[in-house]
Amino acid sequence: MIIVNYIASVFLIVLGFYTVCMKKNLIKVVLGLGIVDYGVNMLIVSLGFNAGGTAPIYQLSDLLNGVAPTFFVDPVPQALTLTSIVIGACVDAMALSLVIMIHRKYKSVNADEVRRLRG
Amino acid sequence: MFNILWSLFYVLIFPGALFTVAVGLLLAGIDRKVVARMQHRIGPPIRQPLYDFLKLIGKETIIPKAANKLAFLGAPFVGFVSLALIMLFIPIFGFTAFSTSADMIVILYLITIPGVALIVGGSSSGSPYAGIGISREMVTMMAYELPFVLVLLTVAKKAGGVSLAFSMDAIANWQAANGSMLFQWAMIPAAIAMLLVIPAEVGTQPFDVAEAETEICEGPLVEYSGAPLGLFKLNSAMKMFVMSALFVSLFLGGIRTGFILIDAIIFVVLCIIVTVLCMSTIHAISARLKIEHLFKFYWTFVAGLAMASLILVWCGL
Amino acid sequence: MIQHFPVAAVMLLFLAAFLVEIFGSKNAVVRNVIALEAATISAVLIFALVKPILIDGQVISYWMGNWAPVSGYAIGIGYEIDALNLFFALLVCATFWLSCVYSIAYMKNDRHLGHYYTLFLMLSGSVLGLVLTGDVFNMFVMIEIMTFASVALTAFRNDSDFALEAGFKYLVIGSIGSSMTLAGVALLYGQCHTLNMAQISAILAGRMTPTSIMALGLIIAGFGVKSYIVPFHTPAADAYTTAPTSISMVFSGMVNKAGVYGMIRMVYVVFRAMDKSSVQMLLVLFGAATMFIGVTMALTQHDFKRLLAFHSISQIGYVITAIGLGSALGLTGGLFHAMNHTLFKGLLFLTAGAVLYATGTTNLDKVGGLSKKMPVTAACFLVGAFSISGLPPFNGFASKWMVYQALYTRAMESGNFVYALVTVVALIVSVMTLASFIKVTQSAFFGQCPAELKDTKEVPFSMQLPMIIMAVLCVAAGIFYKAVDKFLLNPAVNASFNVTKYVDSMIGEGTAAAAGLENILVNPVEFSFWNPLVWLVLFVIVFAAIALVILYGNFARGKVLEPDTANDAKYATFFSGEQEEFSQVAGSDLFWGFKKDWKGYYKVLVGLHNGNVNDYSTMAIIAAAVIVLCMFIFMR
Repeated sequence: MIIVNYIASVFLIVLGFYTVCMKKNLIKVVLGLGIVDYGVNMLIVSLGFNAGGTAPIYQLSDLLNGVAPTFFVDPVPQALTLTSIVIGACVDAMALSLVIMIHRKYKSVNADEVRRLRG
Repeated sequence: MFNILWSLFYVLIFPGALFTVAVGLLLAGIDRKVVARMQHRIGPPIRQPLYDFLKLIGKETIIPKAANKLAFLGAPFVGFVSLALIMLFIPIFGFTAFSTSADMIVILYLITIPGVALIVGGSSSGSPYAGIGISREMVTMMAYELPFVLVLLTVAKKAGGVSLAFSMDAIANWQAANGSMLFQWAMIPAAIAMLLVIPAEVGTQPFDVAEAETEICEGPLVEYSGAPLGLFKLNSAMKMFVMSALFVSLFLGGIRTGFILIDAIIFVVLCIIVTVLCMSTIHAISARLKIEHLFKFYWTFVAGLAMASLILVWCGL
Repeated sequence: MIQHFPVAAVMLLFLAAFLVEIFGSKNAVVRNVIALEAATISAVLIFALVKPILIDGQVISYWMGNWAPVSGYAIGIGYEIDALNLFFALLVCATFWLSCVYSIAYMKNDRHLGHYYTLFLMLSGSVLGLVLTGDVFNMFVMIEIMTFASVALTAFRNDSDFALEAGFKYLVIGSIGSSMTLAGVALLYGQCHTLNMAQISAILAGRMTPTSIMALGLIIAGFGVKSYIVPFHTPAADAYTTAPTSISMVFSGMVNKAGVYGMIRMVYVVFRAMDKSSVQMLLVLFGAATMFIGVTMALTQHDFKRLLAFHSISQIGYVITAIGLGSALGLTGGLFHAMNHTLFKGLLFLTAGAVLYATGTTNLDKVGGLSKKMPVTAACFLVGAFSISGLPPFNGFASKWMVYQALYTRAMESGNFVYALVTVVALIVSVMTLASFIKVTQSAFFGQCPAELKDTKEVPFSMQLPMIIMAVLCVAAGIFYKAVDKFLLNPAVNASFNVTKYVDSMIGEGTAAAAGLENILVNPVEFSFWNPLVWLVLFVIVFAAIALVILYGNFARGKVLEPDTANDAKYATFFSGEQEEFSQVAGSDLFWGFKKDWKGYYKVLVGLHNGNVNDYSTMAIIAAAVIVLCMFIFMR
């Protein structure tokens, strides 16, 4: 059932946004961003999925001989997801390194205390 | 070549610099006289502003140590030039110096330039009195800008420009066809609002918080002397004319005799009436406001009047 | 040959980013040479496209690895440059070139400059790639690189108090925006099964489905984050304040222009949704809120850069409002204002950087009287301040004039009172902008100089040069706006209203016709107040008058007396007859009456900018939800 994927991805996105908005711990905020990313990735992968389709891997000779499968899973979303996962990992790494630096400077990772810039 | 000569004539003589200066000084003189008569004084002769100006031109100009020379001396000139230029954009009944160039937004922005010039000049003198003065001048500017803008939008909507929204020509033509704006009853609140905007823009008595002589020694002008001071005084006289001319062309247009000279004379007479009505009378009967009261007054009462008018006009009245 | 230029320009910047890291981390000369060369060459490559695209009206398309479309279906990543892209690409190039020149002197006392130039070049490359690409997913990747580089650069001076915090907030809000864009792109792919903008435009023409409406909403929200419209603006203010000034200039000059570009490209070209009154109203209202909240926040700031940051937000409000109108005049005004914003806000940030460089602080309560110490900076600042306040004849006036005209014309045509109110807001915001720049003028450049700043020096020439160039451009764009409109804006406006050529040159002749896309020709704006002769005469008079003042220093019979002796009381500032003493009306002392009357409003507003990253993200997410919901409810 593909619909489960969509529901799950929306659930993940909402959960991620909830974490970002509500959790005071900056590390949890970063985790929330990660969860949003996973939700979106799941959405993308589900978009390309065809129930019963084969993997889009075949050789030129198969194509020429006409034995290549014509009903396959769309490969583009998978490529997009890979890119997006890499980017997501970088975002998390960078955010965590910033949190480490913030902890050194502010002696805290509580969002209520890391707010010297305001007004 | 001929075009350039005409442009020069327009900019320098009529309706530009010379005309504006002459009528501005006249209005300033009349204003002083009327105020004096209302207060049971004899008052100075009507030519007194001209004498003052000539006297100041002859005095020495002192540049204070803390001042930035270029800004200090340049500011009054910039204000003067922009004031002389505004009259090119305000139609004198049927006549505009450049018929295609009449536009409200240009006027609105050109009118702020003398204020900015005063602020920059005052600020560059380095005096703390001037600092307070420019702060008040700026708040006054923000205060009257809202009702002013609302009035302009109301008139623009009423006249219903053809291709672009803010055409002064369209307003002049509309009034020529349908009679003066003032006789549309939906426009009356806007006209009252505009009459109240004029004294604040010019900086006369109840709204002269920026130049309050008695408390902050003329604010931005405190360090000025000699010719630049004279020029600033001239600017404020010209502003009287420009603002009342704007009122006349927005609300009292539509009189067209066909002879530019007669038109101009009627125009000046109407300007004198407006000046006496909204500047001299209010000056004579009221005392200076505080800055925060001034701001509140303009953003509630005056803006409310203008807004009422705008809504009425929007509803097609 | 020429079709390789855009992709070469982008790649060159990325390549140079790595070269700087490899060869330039130790040696300053190598580093500067590589960075400046790369910036110059890539700017030249983009400027070389002006003739074929803007003047001859071509559209250049380029397929990466020559993966041309097969039977009308795009399969590769394509770069496609029409007048709209090129307009923004020119802004981007001008910005990063000037910033690069400025950086060399400005940053020389910092450590780890190899990293700085690497990130700087990556940022430039990504923004250039973003505006040149013709592929939605590639656009998303570029957005992510842009966000990374911006975050790293925001936190670059990580020994300062606020840099890390600002970087973190920027990262959180930026990632929320990127995720929304990605979700939008995914839905778009699900709908159209292609990532090429031209093809999506052909497929979607007149056939909006709920999925594509959702995608449009998410993408508007995503690009809204990148252009910092109001509920998303909170990290921008922090980032602009704490980043090195050369980077603040890049942020306001090209990073948020990238967001504006994305908005225009998506809404006008890809979705062709600008004739929907719901989209118009949404963008206009967000724009109006942006300009008003931005400027009112700016009025209370005491930090030069933070004040500029809020103004940057406020000016973007004008741009969004104008492009949201969906009329030719509105879009022209919006593009023009975007261009002017790049010029004057870049200029103002550079002057702020010069003040920081010379005095070591940007706190407006601690500086004063700098115009005598730093005359060039002060003059450039005044040009920028008058431009942003829209005084004629500077460039801000011309573009604001168009915005007001477009707004009120729309109000009168549609009879919708909301547009009239937005016009009022726009006009009032302009005078408030003026007010807050008067505040900077008074407290930083005029007034009295504190004792500790007595030996302040003017900044070096390589920092003055970009300021002077931008100041000259500000004045030139203001005076020759008819030419700017004819050669830059009108082609771009035509390109965004007419996608036929864009689609055809990318996918193949006849695609647009098959999809039912039509051309509407947009004529250049008529400037009814434009009379070159008057302005010419005016300038002659003004210059003659000022020259007279400078040369002779004499008025009529009076004499101008200049202070020659230090202790002559005649030249001292008036102090009611007392001995002169230091007394400066500083930034936070100004506009007392105004602040008192607006106390309640400011209490709420400052409470919203409370610095808490959770609250900021809540605001952003609620706003995004509102955008998507509005799309769904009203877009039928």
